[in-house]
Amino acid sequence: MPKLTIADLQKIKEKYKADFTLREGGYTVKIIVHMGTCGIAAGARNIMTAVMEEIAKVNRNDIIVTTSGCAGLCAKEPLATVELANQPPVRYSDLTDEKIREIFREHVLGGKPVEKYALVTGCETTY
Amino acid sequence: MSAEPKILVVDDELVVIRSAERVLKSEGYQIEGALGGREAILKMEQGAYDLVFTDLKMPEVDGITLIRWIKKSRPNIGIVIITGYPSQDTMKEALELGIIDYVPKPFTPSVLLDVTKRAVEWAEGRKPAEEKAAEEFPPAMAKELDRVIGEYRHRPGSLIPALQRAQEIVGFLPPVVQKRIAKGLNMPEAEVHSVVSFYSFFTMKPRGDHNIRVCLGTACYVKGIEGVLEKIKERLKIDIGETTEDKKFSIEGVRCLGACGLAPVMMIDQETYGAMTPSKALKIMGEYGGPASDQAPDEETAAVAEQEG
Amino acid sequence: MEKVRSHLMLCAGTGCVASGTAKVKTALEQELAKKGLAEEIKIVLTGCNGYCAEGPVMAVYPEEIFYQKVTPEEVPMLVEEHFLKGRPYQKLMFREPEKKAAIPGMKDIPFFKHQVLRVLRNKGLIDPEKIEEYIARDGYQAAAKALTEMTPEEIIKTVKDSGLRGRGGAGFSTGLKWEFASKVPSEIKFMLCNGDEGDPGAFMDRSVMEADPHSVIEGMVIGARAIGAHHGYIYVRAEYPLAVKRLRMAIDQATEAGLLGKNILGSGFDFELDIYLGAGAFVCGEETALMRSIEGKRGMPRPRPPFPAVKGLWDKPSVLNNVETLAQIAPIILNGSAWYRSLGTEKSAGTKVFALTGAVNNVGLVEVPMGIPLRTIIYDIGGGIKKGKKFKSVQLGGPSGGCIPEHLLDIPVTYEDIVATGAIVGSGGMVVMDDGTCMVGTAKFFLEFTADESCGKCTPCRVGTKILLDMLTDITEGKGKESDIATLEDLSRDIITTSLCGLGQTAPNPVLSTLRYFKHEYESHIHQKWCRAGVCRNLTTFWIDEKLCKACGACLRACPSKAVVGEKKVPHKIIQELCVHCRTCFDTCKFNSIRILPAGFDGDPNEFLAKTAVGAKEEK
Repeated sequence: MPKLTIADLQKIKEKYKADFTLREGGYTVKIIVHMGTCGIAAGARNIMTAVMEEIAKVNRNDIIVTTSGCAGLCAKEPLATVELANQPPVRYSDLTDEKIREIFREHVLGGKPVEKYALVTGCETTY
Repeated sequence: MSAEPKILVVDDELVVIRSAERVLKSEGYQIEGALGGREAILKMEQGAYDLVFTDLKMPEVDGITLIRWIKKSRPNIGIVIITGYPSQDTMKEALELGIIDYVPKPFTPSVLLDVTKRAVEWAEGRKPAEEKAAEEFPPAMAKELDRVIGEYRHRPGSLIPALQRAQEIVGFLPPVVQKRIAKGLNMPEAEVHSVVSFYSFFTMKPRGDHNIRVCLGTACYVKGIEGVLEKIKERLKIDIGETTEDKKFSIEGVRCLGACGLAPVMMIDQETYGAMTPSKALKIMGEYGGPASDQAPDEETAAVAEQEG
Repeated sequence: MEKVRSHLMLCAGTGCVASGTAKVKTALEQELAKKGLAEEIKIVLTGCNGYCAEGPVMAVYPEEIFYQKVTPEEVPMLVEEHFLKGRPYQKLMFREPEKKAAIPGMKDIPFFKHQVLRVLRNKGLIDPEKIEEYIARDGYQAAAKALTEMTPEEIIKTVKDSGLRGRGGAGFSTGLKWEFASKVPSEIKFMLCNGDEGDPGAFMDRSVMEADPHSVIEGMVIGARAIGAHHGYIYVRAEYPLAVKRLRMAIDQATEAGLLGKNILGSGFDFELDIYLGAGAFVCGEETALMRSIEGKRGMPRPRPPFPAVKGLWDKPSVLNNVETLAQIAPIILNGSAWYRSLGTEKSAGTKVFALTGAVNNVGLVEVPMGIPLRTIIYDIGGGIKKGKKFKSVQLGGPSGGCIPEHLLDIPVTYEDIVATGAIVGSGGMVVMDDGTCMVGTAKFFLEFTADESCGKCTPCRVGTKILLDMLTDITEGKGKESDIATLEDLSRDIITTSLCGLGQTAPNPVLSTLRYFKHEYESHIHQKWCRAGVCRNLTTFWIDEKLCKACGACLRACPSKAVVGEKKVPHKIIQELCVHCRTCFDTCKFNSIRILPAGFDGDPNEFLAKTAVGAKEEK
């Protein structure tokens, strides 16, 4: 490591922001992928991978991804819920790789829920 | 060497010879004096001496010249220099010529006695001592020890780190190791010993292959380390600070291992074991090859297990 | 850039490592790889989390789920349930004793809920071996501020105004200490850190050095700037290998990054820092003794004045601060003295870390605002006394401290209030004792310690502690004399007034405080030959109350000398001649049917117990 200046301290802080958003809280978007047995069978794993790829592409520190168990709607899997700060969460169903990427662009980045895929708005929040 | 070591004190001031005589005679040394290098050489031509204590700055034949002569003509005589303010160059020269030690002037009786004792021991056992050291430690260990001592030689306050490293290398700090360090760091052996005996981290006895450190801190006390310790002592048939006859285990009591959350705690070598009970301790010792119980194993485990509820 | 969705903060402090962190880590890695999660879930090894008893512990972010007692065997289920299916795994969660419900969130667990983290601000949140993670949590911002925006006077004023007092034991104002040293003109000065945590039962400094070594280094840089020192040492116990390793690593990283060494952060200020390994001498916690030890000599204290601020290490002006004190510095500089004072009391500002151990349900490190009652720490955070036993006393301040009885549990924890009880805040060791503890035995335990650790310089301490110990030993063995109590008190006072350093001046405290609150125990040891706790073997008779005995056979099986006789459904009996007074039966009995009577008791136990039951009140 080269000798640091005061400005470097700030840069390092920025660089690690993603890690600490995760540990300290302070995120603005939370995406929950429902990964019950049914979800996994229906392809939730691919949805998760797509989400992760999209986040990596835009290099945003304030988006976190978590998983949750079966949402009780096994027929509509794969499911995912997008929670923007100060907005009711929106649950999407029957997802595919393309759909989740579209949701990511429109809802997560653009702030507009994608109503055509939405199952319900204002559903219960989970971990 | 004779029973009473014979020492020749060479100094151009009579008072130095007299005071050295006063201090050393009572301790059973034979003392003779010479007021200069020339007189000293003449005396040595005529009689045998074990040690020569000499000043460096003297008129006519000075100390360095005298030392050169002794090294050439009487190589078996050990040399100690007594000097006020030695210049670094003369000190270096004297060291290169192979003096044993030096006494700063003015000296106190205890310093003189200390240096004399050491010089006599050194001169006496010169050869055997080196051979013995080689026997006790593998040459590589001795070499490593010397390397470490060398590293610390010119650093102030380096005695404790040097001792810690030495204990890491040798496993304990017997007198011969302390001597080597004293010599290497150029300080009285007494000082080295005083530090070794002061700190509980240092041990002068060899430890077993596996050192069991039992925490005697408050949390461990409250949670019943005593019962654990009793069982370990009973099984190994040794007390704290001792080593089993087969040199496999030793027990050490430590003040607090700082793992109070896991109390009662013990450590074997570098592994920490928490929430100890007498039977768990015995079981763990077993994993290190600890001795089996005198009782039938089933009966004992049952009894201990009951005790622990 | 790889996106990581979850961090597993696995504790790698001394305690959890001893409980198997390494194996858990390997199991987690294998299992995550097997499930294809290795890239999106990251394992971070943290320093000591402070909740050592239930280790290895792990916190999962962002959900902030807390797992305890994680074993390699449980890992596959944990990974499958939580990380694959998103269902936090209940089996490894914290549960309150007596209650069944698992508490998933770390912030909801009482042990963590009542704490306020300043010193321990980074515990469990950063990887202590990575300087970047410390910097990411505002690390070295305070040093930058102190070195470039503040004068030494301003630094000293801020620390003085904050009311921070030395956390090592004596409680002297840190700002004042710095001011004294800053005013002594000298080319060479030393900034020193005392990491020789010698009090048995205290491990907060170890935890800070392991979990957040840079916070100590940053505090030292700021202190060095305040007093004008360019060299420093951290004096650490050799018994703390992990702390030493982490500190070494941290110093190397800080030096490489220009946060130590020449021209720190381009400010023109130089500060070199070294580690010095202590060699195990309790007296080296005393500042003059510690400095002698760094000089390579026997660590013996010397009279003051001259104070170390004038003549310290190698006779140069020196400041010695404790680990916890130094870890408080950076936030004070960043947030100001008023912020620091927002917690605590007027004279005892801010927070203090305690090592809560002994007979409580939740043991571990606890950081609380000063001024909260002892009861809150023991009952709300500590979860009360283990196995439903009765509280007897809490010991504060280690061998220099004292035992506080139940009726004083509502006093606030401040330097002054604790001293008034006869104990001291000390470095923060807090050992809770239940009614199975003998207070004479406890005093003896501490005197064994101090008699052994006395450096021998002052006769009153060297000889006096030995005499105290001998008398206490006699009392616990049934050889106590009528006059012993008065002699113990007198001798204790003499040792206190005639010893040179803190060791001797405080060594009799455990005796005096137990005499103050538990004199009746001394009396019953001496007069009745009766150790009511059943600890002192010579002073007990174990007797089974046949009315209460359920004849379950537990004590009968447990007795190592087969002194208990009886059969199923026939109340048991102890044959006194065979009894070795080990108390095993007493601890085994689930029905409290075993009673402890005086040695050689001969008479009607029921009558005796009825007569003495009330006499056990503590002196108020």
